[in-house]
Amino acid sequence: MTTLSGAPVVNDSPLAAGYLHLEGLAKRFGTTQVFSHIDAVIAKGEFVTLLGPSGCGKSTLLRSIAGLNRLDEGRIVVDGEEITALPPQQRGVGMVFQHYALFPNMRVTDNVAFGLRMQKVPHEERRRRVDEVLRLVELNVHADKFPHQLSGGQCQRVALARALVVEPRILLMDEPLSALDARIRGHLRQQLRDIQQTLGLTTLFVTHDQEEALVMSDRIFLMHDGHILQQGSAEELYTRPRDYHAAGFMGHYNLLFGDQARPLLGEGFDSARVALRPEALYLQPLADGAMGVERPARPGPECPGVIRRCQLLGNIVRYSVECAGVALCVDTLNRGSRHLLTEGSQVGVVVDLDEVQAFVE
Amino acid sequence: MSLNADLTLSRPEESPLPIRRLVWPSPYALVVWSVFTLLALPLLATLGYALASSWGATLLPDGVTLKWFGELWSTPRFQWAFTRSMLVTVGALALSLVLVVPVAFLAHTRYPRLDAWMSGLILVPFAVPPVVSSVGLLQLYAGGPLPLVGTPWILMFTYVTIALPFVYRAIANSLRTIDVRSLMEAAQLLGATPFKAFFLVILPNIRVGVQVAVFLSFSFLIGEFVFANMLVGTRFETLQVYLNNMRGSSGHFTSALVITLFLFTLLLTWLGNRQAGHAITKGANP
Repeated sequence: MTTLSGAPVVNDSPLAAGYLHLEGLAKRFGTTQVFSHIDAVIAKGEFVTLLGPSGCGKSTLLRSIAGLNRLDEGRIVVDGEEITALPPQQRGVGMVFQHYALFPNMRVTDNVAFGLRMQKVPHEERRRRVDEVLRLVELNVHADKFPHQLSGGQCQRVALARALVVEPRILLMDEPLSALDARIRGHLRQQLRDIQQTLGLTTLFVTHDQEEALVMSDRIFLMHDGHILQQGSAEELYTRPRDYHAAGFMGHYNLLFGDQARPLLGEGFDSARVALRPEALYLQPLADGAMGVERPARPGPECPGVIRRCQLLGNIVRYSVECAGVALCVDTLNRGSRHLLTEGSQVGVVVDLDEVQAFVE
Repeated sequence: MSLNADLTLSRPEESPLPIRRLVWPSPYALVVWSVFTLLALPLLATLGYALASSWGATLLPDGVTLKWFGELWSTPRFQWAFTRSMLVTVGALALSLVLVVPVAFLAHTRYPRLDAWMSGLILVPFAVPPVVSSVGLLQLYAGGPLPLVGTPWILMFTYVTIALPFVYRAIANSLRTIDVRSLMEAAQLLGATPFKAFFLVILPNIRVGVQVAVFLSFSFLIGEFVFANMLVGTRFETLQVYLNNMRGSSGHFTSALVITLFLFTLLLTWLGNRQAGHAITKGANP
């Protein structure tokens, strides 16, 4: 693993465990508290995603780390150096914007070389590093084009190259994929992750797309209403949401009150709220001819239901099932048209009791 | 039966020959050409008079000559008037840009309310007739602490106010076509100071707007007469004042002067429009 200038990436320093420290960060706009009590320690080379709905404060937090917004409280420390009061140009952070922010008057090479020019890097070295980073993002054939001659995906890769070439200590990405179409997004998502891992770059990535967060991140910070609601690996956040709000944002959890869930979980169940993942619910067709029925390891009581809607999502079939007066979302694998349940079909709904998330509140 | 059908029937065996269609101009084209002719006729007549050796009681001129243009361009008084007009206009436009570019930038990025104020302010030069402004300016600057009347400075400052609507609007519109805030932020994160970010990233991207504003303002400022005549008159003779003072001399000579001024203005307007056209064709700022 090396940097663009050829220096090896050191991961075994004493600070490797905590490279970026966010301590008690808070920000207000007028009387509106955008975020508060933000505390986090991020390791060198870690890919952390700030995930949350629009307006939860994740982009403002990212901009505050970049120095584009002034913090009201707290301190930011990178590699042992406090950067809280430094202007953006002295923080050593790179940023990729949602709408690229490429300089329209400059060709791709000049866009990428801009940061090196500001650092007064000699011409020869500048050219070498620009070539190298353009090869890394597979854009060397477009080096002489202007931004308006590129596609959205190519623009975003130029923006990434421009941020990478100056070898920032931290890379910040503010919803960099949300302006792209689905196919390019999928490809670029993987490319971003590969480059980040190759360079061992400490990265903070903002998105509201949970699939993006789950696929790319080492760790996810789930934000809600200006706070970090839960942090952990993708698996932790998805399978063990801390509370009702976290469950509401992750996946397509069925969120039920305790009495609504009782027919599915049994009479002994007494939690106030329950979250059930769509794939933790199993459908038992009651009509003849149904095939390939799967059973959970620890099934709850079977509850009769009716298929109200069937959506084919490629390899997944998503059913909306009316069961005990509640509309449940149930995901099953798409095993072919013979196995599809039609709207109006009578089914039995069974829950895998090992996958039930119960909350006291 | 249409003309087209008649022709086809009369020569059925000669199909390779092209069929000529009778095309009537559209009503829009008729209107455009009528207006163009109406505007061009006086100019064509003036051009004819500027090129005629003499044109008295006959229908056509006695001969064609460039001697009036030659005489005009070699007259020192004309050369001085042209130079003065250029100096005042270029000075006024430079001052306009120095004042307006930062104001438009701040109104766009930091103080959105300023834009509303400026939008109202730039209407003032249109709302107050030049004669009224001139009288006010004469009263203010004829004496007192700033006796500017009769000096080129008062003309330059007045031209700044006249050019303000065109310069401000063109620059403000250019700023709207780019994401100024993100570009400034991106440049700063790459190590540029706000000053460098503005000069290296923002200014080149509003260059087209600035150029259009400059060319168009230049073309009408160089032909401005009312302020020039009332505020400085013969004490600082500009082109239009010179033209006015020469109205008693040969008509051929003054026609050559009018045509020279017109061609110069036309050239600048064309340059301004060409810049705007390039920007539109490219779909983005170059």
